[in-house]
Amino acid sequence: MTGTIIENLSGRKLAVLVTLLLLCQVICFLIGGLVAPMPANTQTILGTVCKDTSVMKNDTSKWFYNRGKGSCQTVDLGETHHDLSERDIVFAFQMPVPREGERFDYSRWQQNLIGVLQLDVRYHSQMEVKPRSTVTIDARLAYRNKGDPDDEWKLYTQSIEKRNLDCDIDVKSEEYLYNCSTIPLFELGSLYHDYYLLNIRLPVNTPDMNVHIGHLQDIWVTVINQNGGFTKVWLSLKTAFFPCIIAILVWFWNRIHMLERKPVLLEKMLLSLGISLCLLNAPIEYLTLQYDLPFMLLLGDIRQGLFYATLFSFWLIFAGEHMLIQDTSSQSSLKQYWRHLSAVAMGCVSLFIFDMCERGIQLRNPFYSIWVTDLGTNLALTFIILAGISTGVYFLFLCYMVWKVFKNISHKRQALPTMCSVRRLHYEGIIYRFKFLMLATLLCAALTVIGFILGQVAEGQWKWDETIELEYTSAFFTGVYGMWNIYIFSLLVLYAPSHKRWPVNENTSDTQNLSEEIEFSPIPERSEISSLTSFIRKATID
Amino acid sequence: MAGPPIDMKWLCYIVIIMCLRCEAANKPRRGRGSMWWGIAKAGEPNTLSPLSPGVLYMDPAVHATLRRKQRRLARENPGVLAAVAKGASMAVAECQHQFKYRRWNCSTRNFLRGKNMFGKIVDRGCRETAFLYAITSAGVTHAVSRACAEGAIESCTCDYSHVDRAPHRSRAATAANVRVWKWGGCSDNIGFGFKFSREFVDTGERGKTLREKMNLHNNEAGRMHVQTEMRQECKCHGMSGSCTVKTCWMRLPSFRSVGDALKDRFDGASRVMMPNTEVEAPVQRNDAAPHRVPRRDRYRFQLRPHNPDHKTPGVKDLVYLESSPGFCEKNPRLGIPGTHGRTCNDTSIGVDGCDLMCCGRGYRTETMFVVERCNCTFHWCCDVKCKLCRTEKVVHTCL
Repeated sequence: MTGTIIENLSGRKLAVLVTLLLLCQVICFLIGGLVAPMPANTQTILGTVCKDTSVMKNDTSKWFYNRGKGSCQTVDLGETHHDLSERDIVFAFQMPVPREGERFDYSRWQQNLIGVLQLDVRYHSQMEVKPRSTVTIDARLAYRNKGDPDDEWKLYTQSIEKRNLDCDIDVKSEEYLYNCSTIPLFELGSLYHDYYLLNIRLPVNTPDMNVHIGHLQDIWVTVINQNGGFTKVWLSLKTAFFPCIIAILVWFWNRIHMLERKPVLLEKMLLSLGISLCLLNAPIEYLTLQYDLPFMLLLGDIRQGLFYATLFSFWLIFAGEHMLIQDTSSQSSLKQYWRHLSAVAMGCVSLFIFDMCERGIQLRNPFYSIWVTDLGTNLALTFIILAGISTGVYFLFLCYMVWKVFKNISHKRQALPTMCSVRRLHYEGIIYRFKFLMLATLLCAALTVIGFILGQVAEGQWKWDETIELEYTSAFFTGVYGMWNIYIFSLLVLYAPSHKRWPVNENTSDTQNLSEEIEFSPIPERSEISSLTSFIRKATID
Repeated sequence: MAGPPIDMKWLCYIVIIMCLRCEAANKPRRGRGSMWWGIAKAGEPNTLSPLSPGVLYMDPAVHATLRRKQRRLARENPGVLAAVAKGASMAVAECQHQFKYRRWNCSTRNFLRGKNMFGKIVDRGCRETAFLYAITSAGVTHAVSRACAEGAIESCTCDYSHVDRAPHRSRAATAANVRVWKWGGCSDNIGFGFKFSREFVDTGERGKTLREKMNLHNNEAGRMHVQTEMRQECKCHGMSGSCTVKTCWMRLPSFRSVGDALKDRFDGASRVMMPNTEVEAPVQRNDAAPHRVPRRDRYRFQLRPHNPDHKTPGVKDLVYLESSPGFCEKNPRLGIPGTHGRTCNDTSIGVDGCDLMCCGRGYRTETMFVVERCNCTFHWCCDVKCKLCRTEKVVHTCL
């Protein structure tokens, strides 16, 4: 009769294992905190106002930039120009910005580029910004690579986009600036080229286009990219975890195949959890160093979503399988849990649809945003609210099931002393197993939440010591990532079937127990069904 | 054979003349750290060469007002002079905006060589001077940070929070810079503006005398205001755009808000004196060798309030040494034009009211018809369509 490893592991061995895993956890945290830089870097770029002297304005081979040979002729918007129309004004943003006398270029390790727009609008009593006005932007993005001549910009993408402009002002006095909210502009899933150039025009094609945006002074674009160092540390972590999880999965599946029975639901769930973690761990980001893969952001979301979905389902099923009351009729299967799992499925599907609507379309047009149109906003909100509701329902379900398990446990506890030793051991094993996982899960979840809140509360860097600077945000990410890997690693190890036989009853003096054991002699014959289910069933027969 | 002695004589003569000139140039000792303000005039369009953006054609007279170190800084950081000029003219405009309705209205003179742009008021360590120092220093900080963001100055530095590295300009350092940028990024704009302003604006102030300490303190206060008026903006870009990953950055304030904050500090400026322990120090240290105050320690001093009941001034407070002169009457010795002919508001009881503005001299009231632009509509980008309205206006002018 076999149980899982955790039941048969001696306290000393368990302590050693847990210590080792905790050590790994601390290492993960420290790698993020001490080695890795901030996860993302921002550069705020002030737009250079260029004068477009060309006759054909739709010419996408003509680019405006402020550095290098062939840079544009600048215009000061502070003065009035009667000879200029809106078609002659181009805001040029050349990224990255030079520093230290050096013209930096983007590295492919920097992974992605997100652009945020900020408008500086000056107050003018005669041209106030209307509360919910839209600004129409003709945005063109070009790229250039190292070694290309200064003027050889090639079109990357181009789009005419509408954005909502939310501005308010405290002091309504001339020449004060409005407080305008930031406007998301673009998201590039891959940073394949070395230099990028953004040209923005504010067209007036119809009489009511761009008229209520007030007296525009400056346009700022903040570009956010992942830091190369962070990617390197992150990828090394992935590369380290990936083979570990694969190896432990193979070992786990071998263990199960060595048994004479078919794998039970919980073991299948563990396996799928391991596989989804492998998918998350697979360091396919290495490919971005060689190829242009703009779908990486989307793929990353999908991989994460898949992992969360399996993890959530696993918790549900784990609680369900430890319910200690079960109908004897059938081997438990996924079908039994359809009601519980539908919440997870619904949440995931709605998030997936939302993500496809936003980041999926951004594959075609990086300037796309679902939040601009009313229909899109409603659609996005619907999906997010649906996902939120399903998460709520899920957690209610989970709490209810855990509560029920605990009730059953306390109920069974009372009956424990009257049982025979074998059965008592089994029940104790089940209870121990469940409590162990509950403890580990709660610990992990609590640490994640606490870490997240700490990160939100204390922005920037943490200083424990004058000499040690800890990059908290990175430490949080690597720490949490390492933690869930270690969590699943230990689940796979500890909840794998054990080779050990049940200890032969030490206290067989009790004749009643003996007799009971004889009475239940058929059990060991069909022994290798997962201990818990078999015994629960027997208990119900009882 | 007759050549060399004559040459020597000439040389001596030139040297003597130069020495005399040096003496003459050093005459206005107190405000000498602020001579660069004249650069504001250079920022005006007519002296700026439109052909080469970023490269400033500098009037030699303006260039002469810069100290040697300032010229070196300008040479080492191409494009920075245009930013400094813009910052200075921005500061002048802001000062004139803030003091529009006060007796002292921050008026500037036409630029004359060897004279201060704001007049001789700068020689006095009064409130107005404190504001001038603070706003100009803030202007340079702001404009240089802005130029960094635009990419107009290529030598802006990064704030490497995780790498402690001395700035070197060698090939190895360049490679290191690129490596550091690819590893940890580089996002700092205000840091360079702040540091540059310290280098450029504080050049003349060695922090030895009380007046120099006052200037240093006010310059620093101006810079601090630019830094603390910055606003944080954030963007969430985690899974599906959620806030699991959030990146924040600081946004440069509008210069108007810096000016507002400094004006508040002007109204609450504190009069200071040297702490007792340090008053004697410069007198005792009467050795021939110029005692260089280490740069780091230049900003580490504490000024004591004149009135011991007041609290000591903070980094963002403006400080002054002596009470302001009266700005009512023309005072050629201090370069004060007086409030004669200024317009005032007869209904106000504040400083812009006719009673205070005209210093009790009374005022003249005129009714005139003004043709003004009104009902303007703005058409992006550059077109403002206005109607011309003829309005009747009552104008009060101080006698």
